[in-house]
Amino acid sequence: MTSDALKLDLPSVETRIKRFIKDYVEKCGAEGVVLGASGGLDSCTTAALASLSLGGHKVLGIAMPEEETYNTTNIQHAKLLAKKFGFDLQIVDISSTLKACFQSIPVYDATDKLSKGNVKARIRMVYLYYYANKLNRLVCGTSDKSETMMGYFTKWGDGAADISPIMDLYKTQVRQLALHVGVPAEIVAKPPSPGLWPSQLAEKELGIKYETLDLILFGLEHFMKPKEIAEELNLPIKLVEDVKRRWLSAEHKRRLPLTTKFGYRTVGKDFRLSHTPY
Amino acid sequence: MPEKLNVALAQISCKVGDKKQNINIMKKKIKQAKEKGANLVIFPELSLTGYLNRDLAYELAEPIPGPSIHSLEDMAKKESIYVVFGMPEQSGKAHGVLYNTAVLLGPDGLIGKYRKMHLPTHSVFEEKRYFRLGYEAPIFETEIGKIGLTICYDIFFPEIYRLLRLKGSQLIICISASPAVRSRFFEVFTAARALENTVFLAYVNLVGVENGLQFWGGSRIIAPNSSTVTKAKYDEEDLAMGTIDYADLQRVEVFVPTLRDLRPELFNSLREQAEKL
Repeated sequence: MTSDALKLDLPSVETRIKRFIKDYVEKCGAEGVVLGASGGLDSCTTAALASLSLGGHKVLGIAMPEEETYNTTNIQHAKLLAKKFGFDLQIVDISSTLKACFQSIPVYDATDKLSKGNVKARIRMVYLYYYANKLNRLVCGTSDKSETMMGYFTKWGDGAADISPIMDLYKTQVRQLALHVGVPAEIVAKPPSPGLWPSQLAEKELGIKYETLDLILFGLEHFMKPKEIAEELNLPIKLVEDVKRRWLSAEHKRRLPLTTKFGYRTVGKDFRLSHTPY
Repeated sequence: MPEKLNVALAQISCKVGDKKQNINIMKKKIKQAKEKGANLVIFPELSLTGYLNRDLAYELAEPIPGPSIHSLEDMAKKESIYVVFGMPEQSGKAHGVLYNTAVLLGPDGLIGKYRKMHLPTHSVFEEKRYFRLGYEAPIFETEIGKIGLTICYDIFFPEIYRLLRLKGSQLIICISASPAVRSRFFEVFTAARALENTVFLAYVNLVGVENGLQFWGGSRIIAPNSSTVTKAKYDEEDLAMGTIDYADLQRVEVFVPTLRDLRPELFNSLREQAEKL
């Protein structure tokens, strides 16, 4: 198993993602999409594809910086992309909202980075859904498959969306696609960060490079056992098992809330409807 | 029986759960096909309802004959044309028993039906959750030839095609709802099933997006020597026309004599081994 396993037929993938976005937006009767425009790889690639699919006038990127993690380069990248692909960009500073939110929480603990960081992601979600409701648009998620499989996202935060066009592509595949559709190389080359606290870097936090992580996840996706993956990739078995443990334990983030069954058909279990019937 | 048969491959996109709209789409295509000189028009799998109906299948399914059959029968009679389409069929004996069925209509109305024998229940497919397996692979002797019907995943199983050919099929129709990630398999299987049985094969696939699944089209008619008679567009709606010349069957049967060289004694062994798998 080598990185060849993750090579894409890029023109075909681009066409299918564009068709998917356009089809679903039209079937829902929505005016377009809104998405969080952090200036990072995933959001830039998604914004580019949405603009190519719907036309830039139907795509609204919202950059939502806040003072603790303010990053001028990321804002510049979001602006650069909006100009290149012709979509609208609004910059909304969420610092005051966060401050008010934290002040109102009796048990707020400024040293608890994770709880605090997740609030940032969820506040951004609130803004996106406000815009979506107000403008009759869909929220377009920007998560990729690597972070979705690892649970490396905030539940009901950046994970909340109506559609997630690149969610079946691993990070290294998103990089290929980004370059293919014309996302500037400097954006593709940036080290990924969720931007929840200062100096947060995804690969440092995950403890693994995406090039390796994606191959492990690819192996797990294809029902390979950790021992086989470790041998094929010449990796310590513990590393593969740690990824698998995290992959399994994040399932709750990828599902509707768990309930216990009483009814004839139960939401999230055996109530099965199509996304766009009638 | 005409030596040459004009076939229209109606590669359509369906509206999930909306029989009325899908019947309207089919009626328009039947009319267009007739105008193009077709004797037979073929629609994709579950074209009456769309493919991914999930729990709606129970309220959408109809007995055969039933109201939707009657509506399309009227059209087939009016245009004096043969029509193949797919629908969820409700058993006449138990309301909770459904089949994934292909229907053959002719200028005199309903001719027959085939209930899908191989129901995919893996990956994104969940057909066994909703449908009962079919148990028969009939062929229909019509004015336009001896026709066998199959549905989508059936094409992965050479046994059913061999059986239909041994029963005398000249044309085997495969109606399909195949997502794009599987297109490569169907490109191979359509050619293989036609060639190994020296039979005409008409494959009609869905297009459009249902629940994020993208159906790839690529409908085609394959001749007994595996050459492509006609092929519809990929990923877009199309009404591709192709002419079948049954005289080709005899020529290919001699050049590729797979039927002459069959070894029936292998079939018993095949069954024994399959049961032990």
